[in-house]
Amino acid sequence: MSSKHAFIGAVEIGTSKVTALVGEWTGRELAIIGFGECPSRGVIKGAVVDYKAASGCTHSALELAERNAGERIQGVFLAQTGGHLEGFYNDASVNVKAADNMIDRNDINTVCKLAMDKELPEGRMVVDQMRRPFRVDGRVVPTMPENLVGQRLEVGYWTVHGQEQRLADNIHVIRGFNLEVRELVLSSLAAGHMVTKPEERQNGVLAVDIGAGTTDYVLYRDGVPFVTGVVAVAGSHLTNDLSIGLRLTEGQAEKIKLRFGRALVAARDKGDKVWMDGNFGIGDRQFPRHAIEQITAARTWELFEVLRKKLGNSFSPETCPAGIVLTGGTAKLPGIAECAAKVMGVTAHLGEAPSWVAENLRDPGYHAAVGLLYYGVVARAERAPQARRRGGFMDSVTRLFSHA
Amino acid sequence: MSKASAIPGTARSWRNIPQQVKPRAMSPEGHRRLVVHALKVAGVAVFVAAVCWGAWQTASALQEGPRAIPGVAAAAPVQNLVLVTDGVLDRAWLAHTLALPRKATLMDLDLEQLKARLLASRQVASASVVRNFPATLQVRISERAPVARMLVQQGGAEPRSFLVARDGVVYEGAGYDLPMLDTLPWLDGVRLVRRDGRYEPIAGMDSVAELLARAKMEADSLYRTWHVVSLSRLASDGEIGVRTRDGLTVTFGTQEDFFRQIARLDLILDAARARGGEPVRAVNLSLDDQQVPVTLGAGGPAQAAGTGSGQFEIPNQREL
Repeated sequence: MSSKHAFIGAVEIGTSKVTALVGEWTGRELAIIGFGECPSRGVIKGAVVDYKAASGCTHSALELAERNAGERIQGVFLAQTGGHLEGFYNDASVNVKAADNMIDRNDINTVCKLAMDKELPEGRMVVDQMRRPFRVDGRVVPTMPENLVGQRLEVGYWTVHGQEQRLADNIHVIRGFNLEVRELVLSSLAAGHMVTKPEERQNGVLAVDIGAGTTDYVLYRDGVPFVTGVVAVAGSHLTNDLSIGLRLTEGQAEKIKLRFGRALVAARDKGDKVWMDGNFGIGDRQFPRHAIEQITAARTWELFEVLRKKLGNSFSPETCPAGIVLTGGTAKLPGIAECAAKVMGVTAHLGEAPSWVAENLRDPGYHAAVGLLYYGVVARAERAPQARRRGGFMDSVTRLFSHA
Repeated sequence: MSKASAIPGTARSWRNIPQQVKPRAMSPEGHRRLVVHALKVAGVAVFVAAVCWGAWQTASALQEGPRAIPGVAAAAPVQNLVLVTDGVLDRAWLAHTLALPRKATLMDLDLEQLKARLLASRQVASASVVRNFPATLQVRISERAPVARMLVQQGGAEPRSFLVARDGVVYEGAGYDLPMLDTLPWLDGVRLVRRDGRYEPIAGMDSVAELLARAKMEADSLYRTWHVVSLSRLASDGEIGVRTRDGLTVTFGTQEDFFRQIARLDLILDAARARGGEPVRAVNLSLDDQQVPVTLGAGGPAQAAGTGSGQFEIPNQREL
């Protein structure tokens, strides 16, 4: 195997499952060569609450993925979600210094630095900073404004920050496997990048990844992430509601949700009943279909209402002509696209993975993990040209010692 | 505002979180990977250290000279002496010439000194001496081949026979077959110069060697009769004189092609024999094609040099 090949791991520590992928990056192409999955333990709403349990299942998934790939992972892209993540927008502007008003690299660097240099509260750390398009004298410039003529250069950054301890917990889970976390990628960006097309992102689209514990969203405008966020309502709430409403255990409620749950009430006959297991065994019970659908639909409706409220003025049907793209495990709930469309007032559809994704990873529950690998590699390649200069012999030696 | 919050946002990225974890926070697989990694690091460190140590040892050994290089070869005396030559010298001559000390090891030997000993014999044109560990000394030599011989008298001592190579080097031959040496003509008219205990190479020998080689190859029956080759007029007139065993004196010119001159000589001698009568005593081939002075009868220069009994004097050369 060529020494230029890098074996990157992508890990999504979710509330219901931990997914690990191994990607082979040749410098030009990315191939997914390993896959491992393990039911999640010690994680609530995307946050590690039991380090040992979370480490155990994460490491099992990593081991499976490595064994499946037949290669050792060299570094990990880790998905980040959780209710502790928050975002804010900060912009800055500078007057162009050159006498001929031609914007140069210094102007761009200065305005970017000003826009990024926003103080954070104590205990908070930046997870990601997403630049919105530059504006030159008020007009939007989709590319770099270097050599354009104008008097005033503006730019804004959407900064996502999280609680330091929560971020450290996630990183330490990976370090417990003696692996380095190379990129921390927002789950919303990973999933959103996978299920939306560049044209949709350019026009304006909202990607919503509804998992078990959290719902991550990203609103794209002008081809870039405009707003991201996390709503702490997701599939587990539906399960919990069913458990309380129908007096079921969590496992039974999950089973009912997956078999009969709907995002919109479709049953007309209130007397229509369904069997919980369907095997007529001891303990198998009947439940009204209408009641099940009412419970799941109400919570789903509420989820989108919370989402709309959280998006606030950032979202409107006019600024989101490409509509909503849904993904994540809970997005498989029947009628959820219609529900989203009704609440949000725009079209909605289920996201699909690109054709190059293998069949076993096309399920919406894996979109975030696949996107994590893809987005992580692309983001890393685009971020810093100086990173490409690394990777020589001395860098390898440095890495070798730094891992010890 | 707290001190921490005064730090710009960009400075407090997740990348500032230290990624070190204590071993107790690691899973068994993490431990295993850590151990493997530590072994890898240790392996690399040992390898680098070994390379550095080797380089240091080599550098210091080179600085202190070949005698400082330790090794198993140093302990084993030279057991084999291998001679590779293109001439007649043999292993006995080699052993005598090198005069290696008993129980000397390869590393004890000074190869340059041994080479100088070999080259002291001027029969050896070039030599190389190589250590073949553990106990073999290989000597490869290229020898000079004699094209003529000469008698040299040093002071009042008895004249000694020397051989002359194509490049003019005068040397005492060793290991040659005596019948082969008897076929070589004697040189005359040479002024030997001795310097640093050696004779200087004879100038113009390449022309003489070419003439002799051409005669031997093209007219061996004529060459066998050549007894003395005179170089007395080589430098001044470009002429090589040859005196045969039967009293004929032939003068060759170095400006003309030797093959043509030999052919003409053969033609003249054949014509004289066919005609009968007085024998040819002198032929001068150094002039152009149209003029070949031939002296007939018993009054030729060859007879003047002869003893009257058919034997000829071998010219002695005195060193200058």
